[in-house]
Amino acid sequence: MRDIAPAMPGAVAWGVVTGVAMVKFGLAVSAALGLSLTAYAGSAQLAVLPLLKDVTPVWIIAATAIVTNLRFVIYSAALRGWFLDYSRWRRLWLGYLSGDFVVVAFTNRVATEGAFLHRDAYYFGMALTNWVLWHVASIIGIVGAAYIPTHWGLEFAGILALLALVVPLCRERPALAGALAAALVAVLAHDWPLRLGMLAGVIVGITVAMWLDARKRSRGEIARVAQ
Amino acid sequence: MSVAYTPLEMGLAIASVALATFVTRSTLLVVGERLRFAPRVEAALRYAPVCALAALVVPEILFRQDALVLGLDNPRLPAAIAASLFLLWKRSIVGCIAVGMSVYALWRYFVIGA
Repeated sequence: MRDIAPAMPGAVAWGVVTGVAMVKFGLAVSAALGLSLTAYAGSAQLAVLPLLKDVTPVWIIAATAIVTNLRFVIYSAALRGWFLDYSRWRRLWLGYLSGDFVVVAFTNRVATEGAFLHRDAYYFGMALTNWVLWHVASIIGIVGAAYIPTHWGLEFAGILALLALVVPLCRERPALAGALAAALVAVLAHDWPLRLGMLAGVIVGITVAMWLDARKRSRGEIARVAQ
Repeated sequence: MSVAYTPLEMGLAIASVALATFVTRSTLLVVGERLRFAPRVEAALRYAPVCALAALVVPEILFRQDALVLGLDNPRLPAAIAASLFLLWKRSIVGCIAVGMSVYALWRYFVIGA
C-alpha cells in the first residue's frame, strides 16, 4: 500500500475525470459503467470517447484501444520473468490488474531485492488497491456527472488527462518527434473518412520514432566500438 | 448527430476495449515462456502509445465541428499550452487538469465572453 501511496491522488483524479468525461461525451450511464468496469484502462477508455461520439466503426475503436494499450505488452514482458513459477491462471489476473503505477513500484522493488518471497501477493495487493480506487473514483465521476452542467465543458478535462500522459512520455527525443509527426499528420488528414487520418498519423509517428531510435542505437554502437 | 450505435454495436465496442486490455496485458504473462523482442519491435511497441495519444489529443484541441480553429476564439488552445507547461515544470496529473480547466474557464469567460 505504502509503495503506491504517492500515485493515489493522481489515480483518483484520473478516475473521476474519466467517469465524468464518459458521460459528458454522451455515453449512457449504463454504457459508461460497463466500459469502466470491464476495460479498466484509463487512457484507452478516454481515447475511444471522441470516436464513440462520432459513431466510428467498431474495428477502429478496437484498433485504437489496442494501440494505446501497447505499452503493457512491454510491461508484461518485463514482469514475466518474476512470475513464471506461478500458475497461468494466476498470471492471467496479474496481467489484467496491472497498471502504470503498479508496474513501476513492483519493478523498483525487485530491482533492489530480487525475487523476494510472496511477490505475487505484494503485486496483487498494490494492483487491487489501485483497482478499487480506480473503480470507486470512476463510479463517483459517472454518477456525479449528472449534477454537473454540460456547459462547463468538463469533457475537456478528459482531454487534459490524456495530455498529462503524453507530455511526460515525450522526454525521449524519438518519442517527441514521433508524437509531433503523428499530431501533424492527424491534423492535416483530419477530414479523411472514418478517422483514418488519425490512424495515418499513428503509423507515420511510429515510423519516425523507430527511425530515430534505430539511429540513436547505431550511434551508441559506433561510440562503443570507437572506445 | 443523425446516426447512433445500436445496443449491439455499443456492446461490441465496449467488449473490444475490454478485450484489448486483457490481450495486451496478459498474453505474454500466460503464453510464450521464452521470448525476446527484436529491438525494432520493442521500439515500435514503446512509441506506439505516445503517437496514438498525440494523434488523438492534438486534433481534439485544435478542431471544433470539423473546422480548424487556431485563433483566440479557441479556449482549448491556451488551456492546453498552459497545462503542458505546468506538466514540464511539475509532473502532476491533478495540477495539469486543474491548470488546464482554470485557463479554459477563465478564457471562455473573459476573452470570449460566453
